[in-house]
This record gives sequence, structure tokens and C-alpha cells, in this order.
Amino acid sequence: MVEDDKRISSFFKTVLESNRYDVIMASTGSEAYSLITSQCPDLVILDLGLPDMDGMNILRSVREWSSMPVIVVSARTHEKDKVEALDLGADDYITKPFGTSELLARIRTAIRHSRAAFLNQGGAPTGTFVSGGLTIDYDKHRVFVDGTDAGLTQNEYKIVSLLGKYAGKVMTYDSIIKEIWGPNMKNDNRILRVNMANIRRKIEKNPAEPQYIFTEVGVGYRIVEPD
Amino acid sequence: MKQHTVIKNSLITAGILGAATGFCFLIQEAAESDTHVPLLFVLAVLFISRFTDGYIYGIVASMIAVVGVNYVFTYPYFAIDFTITGYPVTFIAMLAVACSVSALTTQIKKQEQIRLEAEKEKMRGNLLRAVSHDIRTPLTSIMGAASVVLENYGELSDEKRMDFLKDIREESQWLIQIVENLLSITRIGDNGGSASIDKQEEMVEEIVGSAVLKFRKRYPDVEVAVRLPEDPLLVPMDGILIEQVLVNLMENSVLHGKHTSKVEVSAEEEKDRVVFYVDDDGAGIRPSALPKLFEGTFRQGDEESCDSRRNMGIGLSVCMSIIRAHQGDMKAENRKEGGARLSFWLPMERGTDQWR
Repeated sequence: MVEDDKRISSFFKTVLESNRYDVIMASTGSEAYSLITSQCPDLVILDLGLPDMDGMNILRSVREWSSMPVIVVSARTHEKDKVEALDLGADDYITKPFGTSELLARIRTAIRHSRAAFLNQGGAPTGTFVSGGLTIDYDKHRVFVDGTDAGLTQNEYKIVSLLGKYAGKVMTYDSIIKEIWGPNMKNDNRILRVNMANIRRKIEKNPAEPQYIFTEVGVGYRIVEPD
Repeated sequence: MKQHTVIKNSLITAGILGAATGFCFLIQEAAESDTHVPLLFVLAVLFISRFTDGYIYGIVASMIAVVGVNYVFTYPYFAIDFTITGYPVTFIAMLAVACSVSALTTQIKKQEQIRLEAEKEKMRGNLLRAVSHDIRTPLTSIMGAASVVLENYGELSDEKRMDFLKDIREESQWLIQIVENLLSITRIGDNGGSASIDKQEEMVEEIVGSAVLKFRKRYPDVEVAVRLPEDPLLVPMDGILIEQVLVNLMENSVLHGKHTSKVEVSAEEEKDRVVFYVDDDGAGIRPSALPKLFEGTFRQGDEESCDSRRNMGIGLSVCMSIIRAHQGDMKAENRKEGGARLSFWLPMERGTDQWR
């Protein structure tokens, strides 16, 4: 856990230890980097505002050799910072201030993801994704709602299965567009928005009160966690 | 940009001088004397100083006028002759008049700008006062509750301690809201005196959906209904700001409606705009409060005493600035069936960046 503010780090430590996590603390970027490389933790909670360097640099260098889950904590609220961190490979982004229950939930999600990714290395996901009435059948390339085929088009299916692969994590607009339409697609959110509107009309009861796919305004989309 | 203004100012100068010259030629046909000529050029210099930026153009124009009048309109025509009787006095006087007129108008323009700045400062001051009031109140209860627990830890019952701790958490939550509102103001840029924002096409259902989700998390007991047009609707806006407006309006319904149990959010497409409504079944808005609802100035005296801490003055004035920056407008009214309706509209087409 990388955090330079003593009060915040002490409350983090208390909360995490009472939830039976082992916590290693670092208060500067260089200390953090040497601890991350020597101890290889299961998860890094990284504050972006550090006294000796920008936390983004740590994230960048960790991503060069490891896919360990990194949760970025920051007081920067502009969605550009969020998008940048997520695109650099952060697993999650929490804006200060936040509650402890929220932090714990995000930690659980991130750890579960890294396990799932380890078991299912690379390639397209297989099997099924089930959450409430929503089923993604990765083998048949179909999405079912309450047992009936939602009739998604190929691109719509690709978007939903991409979100399903990273369930619980926010996928930025850019990363979805690159994945579905390729890197040469001009950065135009409109086509993605329209596709998403169609998907929601097929799988949600009320598109404005989604149960399955949520919008993080200015950042991207996130699908519910599987059951 | 700078080059652009130089060209513009030079064109204005040349145009007005040319017009004055032309006018003199016209009159010269009819008139016997040429006493009107210097006067007309003084008038031209006055106009030039009025419509260009800075002293330079007015003074240059007056010099051109002095030489030009000598060259064109005094005998011998089309020749410079400084030996005419009385010439030096007439034309030195003209130069002086031109210079002072130009200096005066420039000064007036500067004063106008100072006045505008002062007005802006006043608005900022009002907002700051409202904000510090709104921040101070929850801070007082946080500090109070924390000291009570710390100083009387042993004497308080577990239940009381829990109550104080819950108060601290609730008040902090309230502070977060205020900070979020302030942050949204910083997203509105200042573009030469008019508000400007970064607009992108957003799906209305996504913004409304996200706002409703946030509201539900904070007020799980209030029923929320959402009614949107069937077809997807893309509207240029700063999605985060409009989301903030919707959350503010829904929260207002609960905080000021006193017994609000149901909030309805809806949107309709009109000819060239999208109208958003937030309706509630609460107590409605006092008719006397309606006109100054969006002003954002805090008036301690005439606030209803029941809950002045939850004065959403800044919330609403933030909403208004956001909507205005989108070239839209906002309105509050009471519904016939009871409760309040707040509505705002956004233009559909991508407008110019500037507002006003």
C-alpha cells in the first residue's frame, strides 16, 4: 500500500488488517518500487500524489513486467486522469474521499480478477457468464436474458463479451473501440454509444435504469459481477 | 489572434478616415467655405478612438487627418503648405482635440472593463460567502461530535457514541457534496468573459441512468421513476456536469420537499432542444422564494429556519451556471398536483463555443 499521508495510511492499515490482509506500507515512490519488486504483493494500492514522483510512473514500470492488480487511489477527480490510469493498466480507480466498505469491495474484485485471469490466460473466455437473468454463452457467441436469446449483432456480442471478460472493471471507451473496431478506428465515441444504446434496448428492462451494464460518465462501461 | 486585431483596427481606421474624406468632397461641391473640414475630421477621430483598441489608432488617425486636411482641403489643393495664415493654430488645436478625445474614450472603455471585473469579483465573493457558510456548518457538527466523544468517552453510552460517529460520517458526506459542486464550477472555463465548456455528444439515457444510480445510493428510501423517449438521444453536453445538475435537483427535491417520497426524472425532445424535468411530491417551493431561487446569494434572515444548514443555494446556482454555460436555461415551478417541478433544457445542435 503506497500512501504518503500518515493518517490515511494508518486508517487503511487498520481496516485492512482487521479484514485479515497482510499489509506492507510504503510512503515514497522509490520505497514503493523496491518493495513491489522484492515482495511481489498480491495487490498494490497506489496513491498517485507521492512526494518524490508521480504515481503513474510506478504504475507504468510495474506494468512492464507484471500484471499484478493495481488499484489507484487519487484526489484527482477529472475523468481524464481516471481514463489515463485505466489505460495504463490500473485495475481500478478510486477517488478520494471514499468509504472503507467501498475500498474493501474493490480489493476483493481486483483479487478475484487476477485469479480468474491467471486461470484463463489470454485468448477468448470460454464457458458462460451468469449474473441474475443475464447469461453470456462464450462458446455459442450468444447472450440470453431470462432464458431467451437477446438477438445481439456480432459487434454487440463482442462488446458484451469483452465487458464480461473484465466483469466489475470499468473498460474505457477507447479500449473498447480499439478492441472491437481495431486500432485504426478514429476515436469517435458515437458508434460505441449507439451500439450500447441498442444493446441496452435488447437486454435491459429500462435502458435508463440498467441492471447489467453501467455507465461511468466520461470514462467507460462496466458490467455487473457474475453471481 | 493579435495580428487579426491589428488588421481589424487598421481597417476601421482607414474606413472611417476614407468616409470622412469622401463626405468632405461631397460637401465641398455645395459649400462655399471649408471650415467644416477640420470639424468633420475631429468627429472621425472620435469615432476611430471609440471603435478601436488602445490610444494608438486615434492618435495616428489625428496626425493623418492634420496632414491630410492640409494636403487635400486647404488652398493650394493637393500640396502641403504650412504657410497659410492661422494654419498652425487651427491644426495644432485639431491635433490636441483629437488626442484628448481619443485618450478620453480609451479611458471610458477601461473604466467599463474595470466595472465588469468588479461585478465578476462580486459574484465570486457571493459564492465564496455562501460556500464558507455551507462548509462551516457541517464542520462545526463534525468537530463538536468528535470532541464530545473524545472528552466524554467513558460516560457516554455505546448507543450515544454510535450516534455521534454516525453524525460525523453523515456530515462528511454532505461536505463531499459541496466539494463536488465546487469542482464542477472549475470545469466551466472562462472564455473572454463568457462561460465555455467542453461539449461531447452524450446519450441522454446514460447520463440520467448514472445520476439516478448515484442518487439511489445516497437515498435508498426514496422512490425514483425514470421516463425517457423510446429512441436513443445524443445531445452535445459535458456529461459529468449535467449528471451533477440532475443529482443536485433530485437531492434538492428530497432535502427541501420535507416529505418527498417519490421523484420522477424525465426528458423530452422538442424541436431543437431537449428538456429535462425533475418532479417530486414534496411540499413544493414557497412562491416568494421562486424568483431568487437560482441567485446563489445566501440570505440568512429569510431562509426558512427549519433546515438552513441544508441551504442548497449554491447547489442551485451551480446548476444554473452549468446550464447557462450550455446555452440552455432553467426554471422552477410548483405542480398543480402538489410538489415542485424543476426543468432545464439544452440545445440539440452543437452551438458556438461562446455563450451570450
